[in-house]
Amino acid sequence: MGKSIGPLATRPRAAISPGGNFSCPWPFMLKNALLTLLSLAIAIGGGGGSVWYALKIQDGVGAIRIGQWTAFPDIGTPSADPYSKARVAREGVLALGRAEGLSFVAERDASGGELKRECTYTIEGGFPTARFWTLYAADQSLGVVETGKPRLAALQSYGVLRQPDNSVIISASHHPMPGNWLLTDGFGRMYFVLTFYDTPIASSTGLSDVSLPRIVKVGCDA
Amino acid sequence: MRSFYAAMRRLLHAVLLGLVGAGIVHIIVLLLVPEFSERDAWSRLSMASDLYKMTRLDAEAGGAPVVKSVDPLFYATACRFDLGEGMVRIKAPGHVPFWSVSVYDRSGHNIYSFNDHTATGGVLDAVVLTPAQMIDVRKDLPEDLQGAIFVEAPIEEGIFVIRAFVPDDSWKPIVSRFFEQSSCELQDF
Repeated sequence: MGKSIGPLATRPRAAISPGGNFSCPWPFMLKNALLTLLSLAIAIGGGGGSVWYALKIQDGVGAIRIGQWTAFPDIGTPSADPYSKARVAREGVLALGRAEGLSFVAERDASGGELKRECTYTIEGGFPTARFWTLYAADQSLGVVETGKPRLAALQSYGVLRQPDNSVIISASHHPMPGNWLLTDGFGRMYFVLTFYDTPIASSTGLSDVSLPRIVKVGCDA
Repeated sequence: MRSFYAAMRRLLHAVLLGLVGAGIVHIIVLLLVPEFSERDAWSRLSMASDLYKMTRLDAEAGGAPVVKSVDPLFYATACRFDLGEGMVRIKAPGHVPFWSVSVYDRSGHNIYSFNDHTATGGVLDAVVLTPAQMIDVRKDLPEDLQGAIFVEAPIEEGIFVIRAFVPDDSWKPIVSRFFEQSSCELQDF
């Protein structure tokens, strides 16, 4: 673009300048206009696009990571960062309050691989203090995975079997599993959402020494 | 050749200017999204129902969920209120395994929350009011408000959300009835 306009722009200027007061010939103005347009296009397109992208990705500022689990304790509060606020407004979220509970989301297993709906996982370990907790398998939008069966892809702490040391072992699979079975179904990416209700860890001071269960991949359907 | 370099320099200048502009636009758009969003919780709820009307948020009541919330093992209901018209009282008789409540402002920020352990006898009876209304109420507390939880909120428009735990299918009718009996009313004072 610069190559073709460059010579065009200089020639008339040379021709007219001896004439005197006419200092801004039209090809020069056209080039300026094009460059201004380019700047504006980059500014508006890039600015708008980057906001859209920043709000689309799950990850964000203000996250607290414990093992594979991520929580956003500040989301939906007046002290949240501008990105969380924009996401709350755009998605119409009504986030859990501090006295209600705190949600953790996992998108990877202990070896760092993305969670897949066609794979079998073991979720095992101790759970922090809470009145109760719920665990469900979620799709991209963090809604519960549709199983197509009466059984929900969700478990809660009143309905699980415990080990003698009070830890819990959960098998998440499409196939029936002994012990605590979290039914999943379908193909593609999956998330686990673990929510603790009426829990002291929802206050930020309680989050420092919390340990959450590990997610280990057992195998996948071919 | 010199004119080519000059043109390229101008192009580079324009691109750099564009990138700086993109940064500014990014910040402006980000700060304006909450102001102009038509997909926030308030807008969605106002499309579904009027002020002071309890609306189920989960899909259980039929149709798609109004507001993307929630735990599949939870039911939720919400009502919008406007404290400019007076204080609002929310009641829900009955007992469920766990309920919790949040008060949100117009833009969906959680400004107050509590759960059934906070309430007298585990029965949900709450009044949301502004600090100025609180002063008026304190002067002469009516008899029937004695046991209520007062939520002082420095807002006008807001959303009140009740969430209740459904441990298994057998609890579904009980929790649904709990929500059907809940009320959200402008309180005369």
